[in-house]
Amino acid sequence: MTTTSVVQWGLWALLLWPQHLAASIPLDCRDDQGNLSRCTSISQEKLLDRVIHHAELIYRVSEELSSLFEELFIPFSFRLQSNQAAYSCITKALPIPSSKSEVQQISDKWLLHSVLMLVQSWIEPLVYLQMTMERYDHAPDMLLNKTKWVSEKLSSLEQGVVVLIKKMLDENTLATGYGEQGIVQNDVQPEVLESVMRDYTLLSCFKKDAHKMETFLKLLKCRQTDKYNCA
Amino acid sequence: MMKKVGEVVLLWLLILFIQIAAGEGYSPPGKPTNISCRSPEKETFTCWWQPGSDGGLPTTYALYYRKEGSERVFECPDYKTAGKNSCFFSKNVTSIWVNYNITVVATNSMGNTFSNPVDIDVVYIVKPNPPEEVVVNVTEDKDWPFLQVSWKPPKMADTRSGWITLIYEVRLKLENENKWEELSAGQRKIFKIYSLRSGGTYDVQVRCKPDHGFWSEWSPTTRVKVPEYLPQERSMWILIVVFAAFILIICIWMIYMNFHSVKHYLLPPVPGPKIKGIDKQLLKSGKSEDIFSSLVVSNFPPTTSNYEDFLVQYLEVYVPEERELIMDEGKDLQDDSFKTENSTCDNDSGRGSCDSHTLLIDKGGGDKEDGQQTDQEGSQAEAEAKSHEEVMEKEHLACCHENAQIPNISKEKEKVKSWPSLFSPLPQYSLSPVNRPNKPKMGNQHCLSDGLFTPNSLSSYFTQPGPSTTKSFRSNYWECSLDHKQSHLLHPQTAAHEHLQAENDLNVAYVDYMGAPLDVHELSVRPTEYVEVQRVSDEDVVLLHPVTPSHENSYTISHQTEDYSRVRMVNNNNGLLLLQRDDIEEEKNMCPYEEEMVSRATSTGCRASVTSTLPNSATGINTALPILDEKAASGYVDTATMFGLPTY
Repeated sequence: MTTTSVVQWGLWALLLWPQHLAASIPLDCRDDQGNLSRCTSISQEKLLDRVIHHAELIYRVSEELSSLFEELFIPFSFRLQSNQAAYSCITKALPIPSSKSEVQQISDKWLLHSVLMLVQSWIEPLVYLQMTMERYDHAPDMLLNKTKWVSEKLSSLEQGVVVLIKKMLDENTLATGYGEQGIVQNDVQPEVLESVMRDYTLLSCFKKDAHKMETFLKLLKCRQTDKYNCA
Repeated sequence: MMKKVGEVVLLWLLILFIQIAAGEGYSPPGKPTNISCRSPEKETFTCWWQPGSDGGLPTTYALYYRKEGSERVFECPDYKTAGKNSCFFSKNVTSIWVNYNITVVATNSMGNTFSNPVDIDVVYIVKPNPPEEVVVNVTEDKDWPFLQVSWKPPKMADTRSGWITLIYEVRLKLENENKWEELSAGQRKIFKIYSLRSGGTYDVQVRCKPDHGFWSEWSPTTRVKVPEYLPQERSMWILIVVFAAFILIICIWMIYMNFHSVKHYLLPPVPGPKIKGIDKQLLKSGKSEDIFSSLVVSNFPPTTSNYEDFLVQYLEVYVPEERELIMDEGKDLQDDSFKTENSTCDNDSGRGSCDSHTLLIDKGGGDKEDGQQTDQEGSQAEAEAKSHEEVMEKEHLACCHENAQIPNISKEKEKVKSWPSLFSPLPQYSLSPVNRPNKPKMGNQHCLSDGLFTPNSLSSYFTQPGPSTTKSFRSNYWECSLDHKQSHLLHPQTAAHEHLQAENDLNVAYVDYMGAPLDVHELSVRPTEYVEVQRVSDEDVVLLHPVTPSHENSYTISHQTEDYSRVRMVNNNNGLLLLQRDDIEEEKNMCPYEEEMVSRATSTGCRASVTSTLPNSATGINTALPILDEKAASGYVDTATMFGLPTY
């Protein structure tokens, strides 16, 4: 999927080069004949379903990734309880609803934007995680593969949410900002344990945020189909 | 002083006592432990703790929590709803995806104790309620029933809006078993179970779990019974078995009915012997005597050692009307080694067959015979062959009477194997057996001779060829006389023997006789014989000695060539009675033999006539041999001169 999106990106860059700063990144849409064409035909419901499906998958894989990492590299004494989050996550500063009542009170627009914010804030840390995983000794391939896969899926999720926002809200939003959040600090080489704990925290926080995304999108779907009975 | 010390001591004791009293039951509370929190629907949650010792004093517990990112400490809003030692967090105070730091404090009058802090995130502590309204239906599907389980999610969980996504699990077991079988149902709310035991009773339960939380408890058991559906199989099998057995019985019956034809086809019977007279049963019994006795139809094989009797066919001795012819004929015939052929030989006759080479009888003479026959038939007593052959043939014919058919010359033709050259055809009589032996087959006994033939003379004749032949010859003569009474001359032989002997005798006679005209041999002087005496020695060897005339051409032939005399009989002295030709003519009148079965009467009659004529004939004959004129007569050995001559 990445290669096709790259091709698409290049194609659009050529076509719309004066507008290369334009926000939307076209989805890889094909009409019935299988010809590569401008994506206009996908319906909103289908798109939302696909986005939700993406979010579910991302959450599932991130959960596996976190537990695997914990088994391999974290000693017992430092292991977090399943209901614990020892360290603060990077996204705590974001204005994201944190309860169902809050979620019920915000509008669709804010839901979507919240999702977008979450997705965009995790793209770079995941890239960073990919790099750090390779530094670990005896890191199994599964760990590396999952990290890579999650990173990719998150990118495509971002694209989908952007299109969704455009469809639902008729807004044009920017894609991932470049260097919005300077979380990663590549210059400093932390201590081993500290870096391990930091990676572990990253993975835990990502797992939680993935669940947030999934929940928001599902709520959004409910609102689309049955506004009055949804939460 | 003493009082002051006492007071101090009392005071100390009092204080000490109080302190002790105070310290026994009262202490600060123990530390609360095992703080656990659960949320049933990801909207509220409840925490429980385990209180420690209370220290003897009433202890109060308080729960304080702190949200992440904030230092503000809050106390549990509700201690009552969830029961004792619990704290219930309502929706208003519940935040999702937010870490809570919870601490429980126990307080009594003595002090307070803090528990270990616990960090929780509501998302991760969700444990829903069990599914509700579990319904199990038994559904019939083409005689293969299955279970359909359906349920509803717990009421409190908001799965409809997507706030919680639940996955379900079903388990079942037979009612009398202990082990459950768990089946994952995903996010569906309907599940089908196949491969059920016929007639069994099942227990079914369902539970659920959010994708990020804990499993719920199992739902209450639902019991269901599966109907019986197997017996139909059994009845089908029974039907199949019965049908197969029926078919098997039919096949066996069919094989049994056709057993013989099948056996005949597979194992064809061995063909048995098809020899006339051979009885298979006798073969099986293994007694050779019995077997061969059945074959002995006409003196075959010879049971006596007197194999001389065995043999050669009769020789006709014709009184030659045409000596020249005869003589010529004889030559030719002799050249042919005295072989004639009877085309009408009878296979069953048992005579030394006309065709047998051992008799030195050539079938070539058959033609001659025919000629003779016709002549004979047409002609008078004398079957005068205009050709030598005819003559000879007749003789042969005469020789070869076999059966009662003898009267017909034609028939007699059959096996006339004799010395064609030696004999002149005798007309009628030639063919008639001289003496019919008792046995009809003896028909051809032409061994009567007109003249006597002394055995001695005979023997002398035959000595040269061989003693055996001599004797045989003799015996032949005996036979010639055939029959029965006269058979004093003859050995009571089987017809065949008589035949043969007669023939032999005749042959001998002819030989001798013919010797002269044919220049082959002479009877009297030379024992040269053309006789084919088949003599069956004791070893069952038939000895034939074709006497080549070349050896002993007696020139007594001159004498002999004159007449062929019939050898009517052989007397008991082994004398061959020769009938002179003239007499023969008479004889034939006298003894019409035709068609007469072998009977003594005729023979006797003939004899009588013969005898009567004897003197006549005798006179007429120069031979020293007495000649019996007999009429019977098949073969006539024209040995008149022969036997008479031998007296040289």
